[in-house]
Amino acid sequence: MKSTPYNLVMSALYKGKKGDRPPAGNPTSIVCHGLMDACGVSFPEAHLNPQAMAELALAGHEILGFDTVMPEYSVDQEAAALGCEIDWGDRDRMPDTKFFPHADFSDVVVPMDFVEKPSIRVVLDALSILRRHVGGKAAIIGKVMGPWTLSYHVAGTQNFLLQIGLEEKDKVKRMLRQLMPATIASARAQFQAGADIVVLADHATGNLVGAYHYQEYLLPIHKELTSTIEGPLILHVCGNCMDRIEMFADAGFDGYHFEWQVDAKKAVEKVGWRMCLVGNVNNAETLYQGTPDDVYQQARYAIEAGVDIIGPECAIPLATPMENLKAIVAAVREGY
Amino acid sequence: MSDRLEQIKEAVITRKRAEIHGLVETAVNEGIEPGSIIDSGLIAAMDVVGRQFSDNEIFVPEMLVSALTMKMGLDVVKPLLLKSGENRSRGTVIMATVKGDIHDIGKNIVIMMLEGAGFQVVDLGVDLTVEKLVDQVDAVRPDLVGLSALLTTTMPEMRRAVQVLHGRGSGKTVKVMVGGAPVTPSFAREIGADGYGADAAEAVALARRLTSPGEGQAAC
Repeated sequence: MKSTPYNLVMSALYKGKKGDRPPAGNPTSIVCHGLMDACGVSFPEAHLNPQAMAELALAGHEILGFDTVMPEYSVDQEAAALGCEIDWGDRDRMPDTKFFPHADFSDVVVPMDFVEKPSIRVVLDALSILRRHVGGKAAIIGKVMGPWTLSYHVAGTQNFLLQIGLEEKDKVKRMLRQLMPATIASARAQFQAGADIVVLADHATGNLVGAYHYQEYLLPIHKELTSTIEGPLILHVCGNCMDRIEMFADAGFDGYHFEWQVDAKKAVEKVGWRMCLVGNVNNAETLYQGTPDDVYQQARYAIEAGVDIIGPECAIPLATPMENLKAIVAAVREGY
Repeated sequence: MSDRLEQIKEAVITRKRAEIHGLVETAVNEGIEPGSIIDSGLIAAMDVVGRQFSDNEIFVPEMLVSALTMKMGLDVVKPLLLKSGENRSRGTVIMATVKGDIHDIGKNIVIMMLEGAGFQVVDLGVDLTVEKLVDQVDAVRPDLVGLSALLTTTMPEMRRAVQVLHGRGSGKTVKVMVGGAPVTPSFAREIGADGYGADAAEAVALARRLTSPGEGQAAC
């Protein structure tokens, strides 16, 4: 196998041949102020304009040296298409959902033209631009929100979690099921537009909800999603998910993007033989506040533990120094 | 502790919303002091709930319902405290989620528990700019400011808020406690916060320490 960025990522995803080195990948945003300045594209433009979105993603590959390009920086693209009011933020601030149209748990109907809504279309167009630029060279990653995260957006996070606490099981399950078509339509459209891999982010976050919540509410839905969406999927769930990591493998995901709170060695021991592991360099203390050497040490720890694709654990703080992101790339380029 | 207080405590821990109103009313009618109902029943229950949360026995959905149950009990007792003129205020706390972050569950749970513990809380909501925070600190003159961030992307804003609040140099500097999923004790120390709480129960304990007379040491 040629050790090109694309080959390294795709082979790592399927637990195939190892090339000269592990790949550096970013299932979530690696945009920081330095990267915006370096390529001349900034937020919020990069959430709303496909060319800007694609250029910023390319910068992660061309300037920082990551082996992937991932053009979706917010978690709000589907929410906007579902009628949520979005504040798209600015250079210093990520977008946020401002209004929850189904706080009353009224029925959610995913519109027929869902993937043609502007906030979805922009990602699809950006993926197609990236395909034309780096198709077959770097791995192109799309990103969709799962029904759990979409429930936070349409009903409000606290409200949704409260209904779970109140054991309004039918209400919760109905909302999750009603949102599934949005995730499926978005993921399929992203593959058709040019994504090699799609990240499915579904924030049944460790420390926020328990493994028993995941098992009851989300595992059955994730199983259906992985069997319905044909292309390779990497699950992203924040927090310490060691208590449910085996369920993520049971759900049928090809990969799991995980946080530093889950020890890399233990994660590999538990599920490394069943799915690709992606991560898990710490954002808050290491990438944002640490030195390039701190980042390098943590990336090397992950490589030695057997993590397949090395990258930040989650979307990075915008003030993260570029040198720290480059230290991840330096660590993978040393090889195994 | 009386059986009635034990029942109140148990109702909060096990999230019996339908029972709490009647139990607290009965306790009042039996002559149990409102202060005891709060301290030995409602707050004592939330201490247990906080420990269960820290030990990963329960999670936010259950904690929200327990907090709601506690609040329902508090709503019965609080008017009686006002009537009796008993001043239980431990101090005033401004609470907010920093600019760029609209997550407020953690903050809201901390607020409910702080109120239960006898603090006056001014909730400034989410996505709060440092400028607005400073205005409110000047207007309210709180004993303590509590800042929350759930996203690693918004942690720099927490740093800025603490630096501005501590760097103003005029008069007594307000103490700041911080928390939220990505925040760590070392981050709290590094940005100069006066304290860090890993969860709601720790935040309340921290607020008690930071507002105690003579408290001046960083607690994180």
